Amino acid sequence: MPHKTNPLVLFIKESWLLLVSAFIFGLLLAGINAAWSPKVAANKELKIQDAIVALIPATANTQIAVDNQPIKLSDKDSAKTSIFKALDKNNKLIGFAFTASGAGYADRIDLMIAVDPDFKKFLGYKVIFSNETAGFGSKIKKPFYRDQYIGAPAKKLTLKKLGNAKKIDDEIIAISGATISSTAVIDIFNKYVDKVKELMTQKGLLQ
Amino acid sequence: MSKDKLFVSPGPHISKPISTRMVMLDVIIALLPALLAAAYFFRLRAVIVVATCVISCVVTEWLICKIRKQPSSIGDLSAVLTAIILAFSVPPMLPVAFLIIGSVFSIAIGKMVFGGLGNNPFNPAMLGRAFLTACFGMAMTTWTVPANINPELPQIGPKGATVAEKYQGQGLEGITEATPLAWTKNAIKAKTLAQAETIIKENFNNSQLKAVLIGYTGGCLGETSSLALILGGIYMLLRRTITWVIPVSVLASAFIFAEIFHFFKPEVYVNPLFQMFSGGLLICAFFIATDPVTNPMTTKAQALFGIGVGVLIMLIRTVGAYPEGVMYAVLVMNAFTPLLDRLCKKTPIGGVPNAA
Amino acid sequence: MANSDSPKALPTLLAGLWKENPVLALLLGMCPTLAVTSDVKSALTMGLSTAFVLLCSNIVVSLMRNLLKPHLRILMFTLTIATFVTIADLYLKAFLPAMSDKLGPYIPLIIVNCIIICRAEACASKNGLFISIIDAIGMGFGFTITLCMLGAIREILSTGAVFGKQILPAISENWYLTGGMPDGFIPMFAFALPVGAFVTLGLILGLVNMINKKTA
Repeated sequence: MPHKTNPLVLFIKESWLLLVSAFIFGLLLAGINAAWSPKVAANKELKIQDAIVALIPATANTQIAVDNQPIKLSDKDSAKTSIFKALDKNNKLIGFAFTASGAGYADRIDLMIAVDPDFKKFLGYKVIFSNETAGFGSKIKKPFYRDQYIGAPAKKLTLKKLGNAKKIDDEIIAISGATISSTAVIDIFNKYVDKVKELMTQKGLLQ
Repeated sequence: MSKDKLFVSPGPHISKPISTRMVMLDVIIALLPALLAAAYFFRLRAVIVVATCVISCVVTEWLICKIRKQPSSIGDLSAVLTAIILAFSVPPMLPVAFLIIGSVFSIAIGKMVFGGLGNNPFNPAMLGRAFLTACFGMAMTTWTVPANINPELPQIGPKGATVAEKYQGQGLEGITEATPLAWTKNAIKAKTLAQAETIIKENFNNSQLKAVLIGYTGGCLGETSSLALILGGIYMLLRRTITWVIPVSVLASAFIFAEIFHFFKPEVYVNPLFQMFSGGLLICAFFIATDPVTNPMTTKAQALFGIGVGVLIMLIRTVGAYPEGVMYAVLVMNAFTPLLDRLCKKTPIGGVPNAA
Repeated sequence: MANSDSPKALPTLLAGLWKENPVLALLLGMCPTLAVTSDVKSALTMGLSTAFVLLCSNIVVSLMRNLLKPHLRILMFTLTIATFVTIADLYLKAFLPAMSDKLGPYIPLIIVNCIIICRAEACASKNGLFISIIDAIGMGFGFTITLCMLGAIREILSTGAVFGKQILPAISENWYLTGGMPDGFIPMFAFALPVGAFVTLGLILGLVNMINKKTA
């Protein structure tokens, strides 16, 4: 007996469970997202704050000076950066920090780079995100390499294979066995330093 | 086996009593000149490195046989051969502890977990070396130049800087210096053509070719002296321990590859002869790629295998990130061995059985 | 559906731990097993997240097993799994941000983890709520424990530490440059790389086979 069903009825009959559960799951996710998203956002902010405090220990408060501004690194290369002001407890400006990223050995490297208020010296960097090989490239997070940037002049830096790592100048000694990661960090510094300075002068952050 | 009994056995009927042990012994004999050369250039260090590898490889194999309650297979000398090749392909100043780790990995993971000799898909010595490179990248890329250098011989390196001049009277066992291949790489990576040309001109001329040939350069223990390696290779060819197919295909393909590059851009790519005699190409062609377990069966497949190894080595040397590519080339081609065997199946005499 | 031959609770629980261990016996979920076991902490997080998703999806699938249309069931499974994976991902982002950064895409990838869809198909869509929960607990724990075991072995061999805490004597940096003997455990970095994952997993699987052969 050929019994013809209305296609709409057939559709509902077959898929009502899917539609209902999709609706319910959607509601569930929306609720959870609404409940937790402030926490996720706070985590991100905390991470930035922590990074800045780690670089400029006297920081009591941070302010966003430039938020996610696109800058041109070279003719082909453009990126975004955020610049933060670090203020001490008397609300005096004690430095700037800006985000920078570039290609590492395994994945991208995101850095938070700190400079002094006059943009004369670097105050160091902190790795926000990296996926470098444990034991080699991951040493960019270790003091041996990082400390070389603390107090280094805020201009283009050069990488050397051998030398005195304790001497603070524009020559950075590479991590042995991780030349690519060392180069990647230097490249990020060199790509950003002039452009960020330009941007900050434009915005009136620097005299 | 008593002689007064007749045995009926399927072919192949081997008339000579060739055992694994004899083949391995032959290869070890062929490695002796290189061993002597290493002992001459690196003195006590060479002895320490080779002895450490041999002892730890043999002990590992013996222990694993013991644990698995199998008859000990150390008698076939394959562990000794693996050990010597491993020792020959690591930087001479590598600490003893690293050597032991490499040897244990070679034998345990490279060979014994697969069921012993004959079942391993990859060359155990190269696998051990690859493991060491992954673990201790820094130590594995620090090279030493033999210290007892004849001052007359020009060095591969910065102009006017023979090792003897630079480090005279310091009584060192060896000096860390860039290897010929590192200089080759520097030339390729140089930013401008002029820079590359200077590097090539200053570092690679005919008298320096002699240094590479004899072995007065930085590099692995067994790789510095090309002459000794060629001698060993000829011995094995004469004894028919190896066939000519693989060595010739490896060397020829590498040479042609290097020559093409050199022909079009002589100011960036060095003379192919340098490529031939420096690094691990010779030891690879004669001793590593010819390992009977991990290369294909038929002549055609072996030729393809050899060409693959040669081309990969030169590819890694010229465009890759590493200065030397023997290890990865051999391991990659080892992985292709079963495929090559299938590709070049021989039709049995009398036609394919069951092919109606 | 199944009444007379419905599985018993205890054997189901134990099956997930050893006899049908998702990693060691069924060889399912190899992607996270190999990718995130370079240290115990990420292995534990991964294992627990997967166990959570597995438990929730088994409950939901078991509850609606009689309503499922055969040709739409895979769609339903995926929808359910995706929902709970998103919840797990949000949870990590909100409360364990460091872990969430480290595991990166591997948490969302739980959606395509075969263990979960396999259990939904093989167990939850055929059995009652109780057995489905027991099965999820057994499988989830089996997975977590195996991952942690792998993670512990790899972390110890690659750094000499567990949970980031040094348990083997640390070695002084650059000891080999002085040519002396090692003064502590030599960390083998290869075990933190994918190589180490394959080697360790292979050796463990071999060991498990050996034990199974002996007891059989």
